[in-house]
Formats: sequence, structure tokens, C-alpha cells
Amino acid sequence: MNPAKILMGAFLVNNIILMRFIGLCPFFGVSTSLETSFGMSAAVLFVMMLAAWVSWLLYHLLLVPTGLVFLRTAVFILVIAGLVQFVEMVLKKYMRGLYSALGIYLPLITTNCAILGVTFLNIDYRFNLLQSTLFAVGTALGFALAIILFAAIRERLEDSPISPSFKGYPIAFVGASLVSLAFLGFTSLFGISL
Amino acid sequence: MSAPSRWKYFADGIIKENPVLILMIGLCPTLATSVSARDALGMAAAVTFVLVGSNVVVSLIRKVVPGSVRIPIFIIIISTFVTIIDYVLQAYQPALYRVLGVFVPLIVVNCIILGRAEAFAYGHGVFDSLLDALGKSAGYALVMLVMGSIREIFAAGTWFGVAVTPAWFRSAPVLFMIFPPGAFFLIGILKGIVNRLTAGKV
Amino acid sequence: MLQSKTWIVVSLVLTCVIAAVALSQVYAVTKPVIDGQAADALKASLSEVLPGAADFVELEPGVVWSAKDAAGDRVGIVFKVTPRGYGGPITVVVGVDTTGRIAGLGVGSDMKETPGLGQKAREAWFRDQFRGKSETEVALKRDNGTLDAISAATITSRAVTNGVREGMADYIHYLTSK
Repeated sequence: MNPAKILMGAFLVNNIILMRFIGLCPFFGVSTSLETSFGMSAAVLFVMMLAAWVSWLLYHLLLVPTGLVFLRTAVFILVIAGLVQFVEMVLKKYMRGLYSALGIYLPLITTNCAILGVTFLNIDYRFNLLQSTLFAVGTALGFALAIILFAAIRERLEDSPISPSFKGYPIAFVGASLVSLAFLGFTSLFGISL
Repeated sequence: MSAPSRWKYFADGIIKENPVLILMIGLCPTLATSVSARDALGMAAAVTFVLVGSNVVVSLIRKVVPGSVRIPIFIIIISTFVTIIDYVLQAYQPALYRVLGVFVPLIVVNCIILGRAEAFAYGHGVFDSLLDALGKSAGYALVMLVMGSIREIFAAGTWFGVAVTPAWFRSAPVLFMIFPPGAFFLIGILKGIVNRLTAGKV
Repeated sequence: MLQSKTWIVVSLVLTCVIAAVALSQVYAVTKPVIDGQAADALKASLSEVLPGAADFVELEPGVVWSAKDAAGDRVGIVFKVTPRGYGGPITVVVGVDTTGRIAGLGVGSDMKETPGLGQKAREAWFRDQFRGKSETEVALKRDNGTLDAISAATITSRAVTNGVREGMADYIHYLTSK
């Protein structure tokens, strides 16, 4: 499959949050401010790529040859949990600035469906290592795009007059619905279909 | 504990502490798999299996599990149940399995499950944990049923596969509801309604 | 004792072992069922594209089958191609009768596409177009052929069409061999 198509597809046409519904918890939790959205996106990009590599390698070089395919769910999630711990330690030691900027978002990534989702989708789509990497990068960028766009919208919503029952989550969801509708328009962009 | 307050563990999960509409967790699969009433309930059933299983097991071992590594151990337990339901569905309900797709293994990161294990099962007895799991599952199933039904009726005119709308309605389906924007929109409206109903009561 | 380093390690190992054992049991029980379903589904999908066929003999594993009817006469071949559609590999099963024309075409359910547009390749009208076509006729109209593409799903339509044509080129010799 065309590398550009994999990248653009994951980024826009099949955007992981707005079209696939994967990664919603951080989407709604973190997008209250632009700053945290950027931070979370950076962390996700980093962890997603690492997780894609490690899980792909473990799956094809260890689980498949030994016939232990049924352990993949457990292995993948433990890999992600371990990676996040590891990244946290490394950042704390060598990149304090980034570490404090990311703050609580780093541990939160462990339960981010998007990361685990990508590891599974790489297997389902039978991607090779390069394609998996492209898919992970495209997905992380798509995640970033969705979250940052949405944060910008939400910051504006803060100052808008909204009926009390709809303040907060409800209007956020309706807003997401409209952004998702816009993304639906990306169908067949560059000839990529849903 | 007296009997009435025991059942509170169950009842809370349905309305007062409904995982999706009040606690706002476990959203991903909710929006993705509630495309029809039957598929929505199928997903709810899978989640129930994992939630009940993990709550019970975590509660059983709560006194012996070392605090510092309890999260990894909970994760292993949860992924075991998830893998079990993954293969069981694949073998005995292949049609449902194809619809749920990647969301079956994603149950392992469903915040509802790890959340209840840590917040409740770790500190309560087995029977109470069971009740809590059943209550949250029932609440989850309720929301799934509502969303799945609304989306199915609007988009296909059927309910559980049975036509419930006149033919003229079914010939011009509201596809908006099947696609992602519709799901976001629907849950936004539902949450708005819930907020309205619970204003001042919670 | 419960928080001691030894217990921490032991409890982790114990959990992993119990989990692995439980899962391998579940796997052992369900795998045969899953494989059985796959075999039945395969036979069903092969029969669907070549009406009249009752028996299939594998010529190339997972790729080409020779089909005979109940009386034992050769009725054609069935081959499977997996072109890459937008969302990933699409399994297409093609039945070719003894005149070298397509008897039927089936698009498998391997497609992990978002519900809606991507699944259109399985629509009857698209697949029915292929019936009766010979190898040279199998191409999209915009590619100088005879077939219509699915709107908003050109990549998938083209992938399926070209995959079918190439498959015919590769396997049609089996019709006359053996």
C-alpha cells in the first residue's frame, strides 16, 4: 500500500478520534486548553511510535513463531504500560523541562485506547514494519490535529452563553459532532476511500 | 451491612453512577459499536463478562496482592478475561465478533474496568464487588441499548432487525446517525438531558 | 511479608503463569471451532461464485481450486486474489466457468473498513457486473474496460477489478490443464 496513502488515510480520512472513535477519553479530558493539548499530542506521538515498533517486533518475532498469538492482548498492554513508565523515567532524568510540561498526561497515556488500537490495527492490516511506522505517525498526527482543533473550539465555547444543562460535556460532544462532520468531507481525498 | 445498603452497590451503577452518562468513562466502544441495538447489547455483554470477572477475581486476591504491583497484576487479570471473551466470541458468535472488531481487545483499556477494580473491588468483599460490577454493567447496557436503538431506528428503520417504521421512512434513512458525527451528536444530547434531569439532585 | 520483595516477584510470576495457562486452555478449545468455521465459510464462498460446483480440489494452497459438479465433471476453477484496497487487503473470490468467463465474484469479509462506504465493494450491482466477462473485458470504464466503479470508492473498485483481471491471467491455464 502506498505509503502516502497510509499516512494521509490515518491522518485525515480515517482520523482515529473523529472517525474511528478510538482515543476519546483523553480527547475530552485534555482538550480544555490548547497548551495541554499540545503536550498530550507530543507525548502520544512519541509513545505511539515506540509502542508500534516494540509490539510489532514482539508479535512477529516472538508470539507468532512460538504459537503464543493468544497472549497478544496481554503482551501489548503490558508493553505500553512498561514503555510509558520507561519514557517517564528517561524524561525525568534527561529532559526535565519536557517532563514537567507533560505532567500527568504521561501516565494517562497507558489507558489511551489509541495507542493500543494502533498496535492491534497494525496486525489486522498486515502491515510490515515500515507501514506500521507510517500508520503510527499518521495516526498520532491525526490525534494531534483533532485534539488541537477541538481545544481551540472549546476555549471559545467557555465564553459563549450556553444553557446550564448543556455546559461542559454535552456541548463538547455536539461540537465534536460538527468537527467529525467536517472530517467526513475528507472521504475520497486523494482517492483514499473510507 | 444491612440488606438495603448492599443492593445500593447494584442500583447505583444503573442511574446514579452510570459509567457512561455520569462518570463519563468507557466512551470509545460506546460510540463505535452502538450502531444497532443488537450489536450494542453484544458489546455490553462482552464488557459485562470482563467487568464481573475482573471485579470478582481482584476482590478475591485483594488481601494478598502486593500494593506496589497491584496495577500490573490487575491489568494481567483484565487482559486474561478480555482474551477469553475475544476467542469465545470469535468461535461462537463470529458475526458479532466481526462487528465489534478491534473494540473487543480494546476492552482491556476500557476505563470502566480498571477503574472499578482499583476504586471498588480492591477495597470490598467479593459479593459486594459482584454487585458493583453487575450494577455498572447494567447501567452500561442501558445506555448502549438506548443509543443502539435510536441509531438503528433512524438509520435503518428497524429495531433488532425488525422493521418498526413505515416504508417511506425506511426508504430515506438518516445515515447521519450511523456515521461518527451522529454518534457524537446523540451522546451530547443524551448527556444534556441527563444533566437537566439531575440538576440539583446529584 | 506481604510487601516483601520476594512476594512481589512471586505474585507477578504466579499471575502470569495462571493467566497463560488459562488462556492456552481457552485457545485450545476455541481454535478448532474457529478453524472449522473458516473451512465451512471457505467452502460456502467457493460454491457461491461457481454455481453447480459441489467439490473443490486445491491446486495451489489457498489460491486456486479446481471445481467439479456432483457428477464429477469439471465445471471450472475458483481462485482467490487479495488486492490492496484502501483499508487493507480485500479478499476477492472469482469463479470462472469452462468458457473462460466469470461465473461469479465474491468479496470477502476481511475488509476492515469504516462501515458504510468501504463495504460497498460487496454490493451486488458491482459484483454482478463481472458476470460473463472474459479476461480482456475486466477493467473499469475509465481504464478502457466495461465496468463501472463505485462512487467515492475508486481505489477499492480499481483494486478489485485489476486484481481479478490479473488473477484470470495467472490461473486461467488451469481450466485446460490436468
